[in-house]
Amino acid sequence: MTRIHDKIQADNTAKMKARDVSVYYGSKKAIDEVSIDISPDYVTAFIGPSGCGKSTFLRCFNRMNDTIPIAKVTGSIELEGENILDDTMDVVQLRARVGMVFQKPNPFPKSIYENIAYGPKIHGLAEKKADLDSIVEKSLTRAGLWDEVKDRLDDSGTALSGGQQQRLCIARAIAVDPEVILMDEPASALDPIATAKIEELIDELSGRYAIVIVTHSMQQAARVSQRTAFFHLGKMVEYGPTSDIFQNPIEERTRDYITGRYG
Amino acid sequence: MNKPIDLSRPTRTPEFEKRLAKRYRSERNFKLMGQGAILFSVAVLVFLLGNMLMNGIGGFQRAELTVPISFAESGIVGDEVSLTAPSAVQILEMQGMDEVVHRYAEEALGTEGAEQLSDQAWRDVAAALSDNPALIERVEPVAFNLAASSDLASGLAGEGSEEMRALASKLAAEGKLSENWDWGFLSRSDATSPQAVGIWGALKGSILTMVVTLVLAFPIGILAALYLEEYAPKNAWTDLIEVSINNLAAVPSIIFGLLGLAVFLTVFPNLRSAPLIGGMTLALMTMPVIVISGRNAIKAVPPSIRDGALAIGASPVQVVFHHVLPLALPGMLTGTIIGMARALGETAPLLLIGMRAFVATPPTDFTSPATVLPVQIFLWSDEIDRGFVERTSAAIVVLLLFLLVMNSIAIYLRNKFEKTW
Repeated sequence: MTRIHDKIQADNTAKMKARDVSVYYGSKKAIDEVSIDISPDYVTAFIGPSGCGKSTFLRCFNRMNDTIPIAKVTGSIELEGENILDDTMDVVQLRARVGMVFQKPNPFPKSIYENIAYGPKIHGLAEKKADLDSIVEKSLTRAGLWDEVKDRLDDSGTALSGGQQQRLCIARAIAVDPEVILMDEPASALDPIATAKIEELIDELSGRYAIVIVTHSMQQAARVSQRTAFFHLGKMVEYGPTSDIFQNPIEERTRDYITGRYG
Repeated sequence: MNKPIDLSRPTRTPEFEKRLAKRYRSERNFKLMGQGAILFSVAVLVFLLGNMLMNGIGGFQRAELTVPISFAESGIVGDEVSLTAPSAVQILEMQGMDEVVHRYAEEALGTEGAEQLSDQAWRDVAAALSDNPALIERVEPVAFNLAASSDLASGLAGEGSEEMRALASKLAAEGKLSENWDWGFLSRSDATSPQAVGIWGALKGSILTMVVTLVLAFPIGILAALYLEEYAPKNAWTDLIEVSINNLAAVPSIIFGLLGLAVFLTVFPNLRSAPLIGGMTLALMTMPVIVISGRNAIKAVPPSIRDGALAIGASPVQVVFHHVLPLALPGMLTGTIIGMARALGETAPLLLIGMRAFVATPPTDFTSPATVLPVQIFLWSDEIDRGFVERTSAAIVVLLLFLLVMNSIAIYLRNKFEKTW
């Protein structure tokens, strides 16, 4: 466990700092005292077998666990020095700063334009229609979707293919210009070509946004991330540079998992 | 090459093929039963509607006597101003309009025939004069078709007394008595004679009552459904409320009438028979249906849509009004259609709050005495005069058409809001 500790000590530039975070579903402990730093410059991947709690942990970073009545989160998560788990934290503002992309593409059943414009509209980020238009174009361009949909912005977002829908959801998340983007297995429902596009996109977006991605595909973690955390049974087993985790893991459980002995 | 059947595979055995045939057979039977059920319902519906229409057509007609009147020689005076004034009918009445009409009737139909002209027939003539003042100077006679008495009408239908039947056949043979389309049925109100009744009063009463019901039950029902689904904590209290609402939807409608009588008419004793009270009573009855269907519609909105909106920073109210409500609205409208259709056909609770009164003028507003279509049907079906039988059928046709129009609007709205996800 020393490496985690060293990492925490060394990284003062961290965007988000989780300390001793535990999540309970009723009396069941789903996440057990996890501490981690999220760097603004890297893509951080959470990997681990099904049911290890990585998605639950991810949902703490924008407090989506609030929507589950029996979930209880303890510990602290700081976003630039501010504890987001505090009751005084404004959740609406937090979620504007920490965006999220879900496992299953969930575009709103509205037009493509409305999907992107919705966030900026409710947060009042655009005063004029022209501003909104440029936000929509910029977001779709960054999500690599502009050329495919620019002629049919009034079509329903749900009429797009699965991969396009997921890129639309990413465009929707970046339309409010968040600081962090959380991605919960964003490519698990997509075919290999669409997955490759999403991975390219993550690569392009990293640096501009701090990105945390949950994935059950180790290859994907190896391809897109610079930092990897391995979760098992609600605990974070190991965290470090992705190359170290995959080539030279310290913990035996990590080695067993990445060599495919269980999963 | 003819390979022998490999009996070691369980899916290649003759027993399996027998079972397969049986499965197909039962599927065919099930389909046939379903088609039979649909065929039966359609047949019953067609029979019902056909029967109503056949009987109802007679209700839209009435026996009318033809009376030629020459106004220039009648002694009635007036000009364009006085005849189009609101008091025109009174002015004509003072000039003895009814006697003039009677005199011309005697001339054309004989004393016996003129006796069978309905008492209020002169009002139709007065109304015609008011519509077209130029008639007053016309020398050549103008033929008016005026309502016959209900005795003569039943004589024309081959019922009633011997002498009426004789008189009717004599006048009909002379071309002075005939069954004509009675468009006035749609614009008049209740009356004591089946020859003079109309449906407009009850139709307007129904419209006003439905407006009150919709305005009260729809927003309250939907807000209750939204609150219970989206905001209310899940505890013993909300469980109790849920059970109560479900029970309320199953309460017999006459109980709501008693409630309306005990509560609304105690608070507003002057509003007996008013569409406002009727609408409030029916709203109580309709609301639980809207709440239950509304909650189901909200439950059917995928949680992923909520998550997507929350994750982008929408507040709970924005999630509800921007995403949940638009997607749940079609389902809510379906429940509203069912509830409103039930309310429109409801008679029992309205009888209790006094909407069974004899109302001869259409209601002018939400607080004036009124009756509604189903109550009017109930009242007419109770009349002794045979002439009311066809009028009752005609009223049923009007009620069904009203229902059809109301549902068509609701279904149009529902389809307009329907979205896929």
